[in-house]
Amino acid sequence: MTLEACYEKMEADYGDVKRRFQSDRLIQKFALKFLNDPSYANLCQALKDERYEDAFRESHTLKGVSQNLSFTRLYEESGKLTEALRGGANPDADALLSQVSAQYEKVCQALRQYQGELEG
Amino acid sequence: MEKIKNRGKQKILIVDDSEMNREILSEILCEDYELQEAVNGVQALEILGEYGGDVDLMLLDITMPEMDGFEVLSYMNRSGLIENIPVIMISAENTTSYVERAYEMGVTDYIRRPFDVRVVRRRVVNTLMLYARQERLADMVIDLVYEREKDNNMMLNILSHIVEFRNGESGLHVLHIQRATEMLLETLVKKTDKYKLSQADITRISMASALHDIGKISIDDGILNKPGRLTPEEFEIMKGHSMAGANLLGQLPVYADDLLVKAAYEICRWHHERYDGRGYPDGLVGDEIPISAQIVALADVYDALTSERCYKKAFSHEKAVEMIRNGECGTFNPLVLECLADVADNLRAAMSTDSQSTSNDRQIRGMLGEILGKEDMGTSGRILRLMEEEREKTSFFTSRVKELQFDYNVLASRVTISQWGAKYLGLNKEVLNSDTEWKEILGEENLKALTDKLHQATPENPEIEMECLINVQGELRWHLCEARALWSKETHPQYIGAVGKLTESHRQH
Repeated sequence: MTLEACYEKMEADYGDVKRRFQSDRLIQKFALKFLNDPSYANLCQALKDERYEDAFRESHTLKGVSQNLSFTRLYEESGKLTEALRGGANPDADALLSQVSAQYEKVCQALRQYQGELEG
Repeated sequence: MEKIKNRGKQKILIVDDSEMNREILSEILCEDYELQEAVNGVQALEILGEYGGDVDLMLLDITMPEMDGFEVLSYMNRSGLIENIPVIMISAENTTSYVERAYEMGVTDYIRRPFDVRVVRRRVVNTLMLYARQERLADMVIDLVYEREKDNNMMLNILSHIVEFRNGESGLHVLHIQRATEMLLETLVKKTDKYKLSQADITRISMASALHDIGKISIDDGILNKPGRLTPEEFEIMKGHSMAGANLLGQLPVYADDLLVKAAYEICRWHHERYDGRGYPDGLVGDEIPISAQIVALADVYDALTSERCYKKAFSHEKAVEMIRNGECGTFNPLVLECLADVADNLRAAMSTDSQSTSNDRQIRGMLGEILGKEDMGTSGRILRLMEEEREKTSFFTSRVKELQFDYNVLASRVTISQWGAKYLGLNKEVLNSDTEWKEILGEENLKALTDKLHQATPENPEIEMECLINVQGELRWHLCEARALWSKETHPQYIGAVGKLTESHRQH
């Protein structure tokens, strides 16, 4: 699986990230690092604990990271959640979170497959 | 490229709570620069506090926990660091209001996210080059102006010493007049806009003041150095020195239009006028007398009173000020008398030291500030480096001292204590938050009492002392607190903190 194919699989924008990062080595390094990024887990925990300010910040971070790596769909969904949480608790939060989760899973799955083939 | 050559790679501070962002930026920049990272505003300030002028560029995020980017910018503005350290904002926040606010707070550039490797590299390089160039230019101008001013001043002083020599005066008289004129003028412009004086004007008038008695060259020796009282005829001749000096200057063919000569002319001719119109040679009243002449007149009287002359002994500083204010030595503009009152204490100190070079430096910085359109020039890179050296020396001594010494920085709400002090208090760190940790150790009441005392201190009396009961590892023990308040060195000094020590007191309580 090429990096480009991996990106296609998760509906992410390879062209955009290639233009900005210039090298595949750089893209790969940070894309794989994303698998260890704690923002998503922190976000879920924060919402569970009703710590809305923390949840807002984690969502904002997740959005930033997705944007950096051109994970377009994840960026869009986490963006919506971030805005919803900007003012604190929000009844739409749960629904929006499930959208974020869906995209997050898709990204991780594609990345894990890519990583597996690298090591294989 | 002095700065870049001598100091190895330039240092960039990356401030962002997102680890990925820090890593990406680090990846982009680590090859060409020395990097430091901070995860939030608090850490950023700590690093700035430690490395101060050594940081060449800061990449700053806005949204961060504990202290956000705007607060960091606020601190940098208050401390003047913003003048020396360029800040590039790196933020996902793109709303115009955020961007505008950041620019208003002195941010140099704004890099949008998501990061583009080439853009980041280019912006960093451009910003660093711009700042290096600006600083090099400022340093160059200072050097040039300083050299020229030194020469000008020197020529002027030589000339006036020659003149004064005939009177049996020491060269100090001329320096005193210059210094006093400068100090009075600086106080005057702080009080009122009425006279429209720029820093260049102040410098020019102080220099010109050296020539105020140049007319004495035409006065007969017998009158000039007569130990007794002058007869009315002799006095008339003596009075002629004002007009004589003015004529000398007025007849200079080449320099008639030169501003310095014009200033000297005014001073020469009218430094014996009186505010109530009973002076000479023209009997000008009030503000008909150019302000330069009014100020020099006062400086002249003050110096005459406080110096030995062939016809009188020296009066004390206090007596001189008293006599002037009582109107015993001529009448003056009440505003000018206020200036005298304000600088009175500093005047005495200034008269007794030969601080010509520091005065020059300040004047030049003042002029430079005006040229570049900034109120406060901040400190030049060279001075920051000198500060770094001083810091290294002090930190050697503080690391070995066996006392609880503290350094309180108001702007950063931070108290730094000596290594020994930290151990004594049972702490594992030397940098404390003044609003929380320090307050706990001193106790809220003691902290308030200490702060009050420090606020009441003045530059003339900066040291305070206080007995207090403080918390040492759970035990309350009596200590003597000796501290010195500190003020910034700007035109309007601000209280910036204090240094001090706490020693265990064995007095009976």
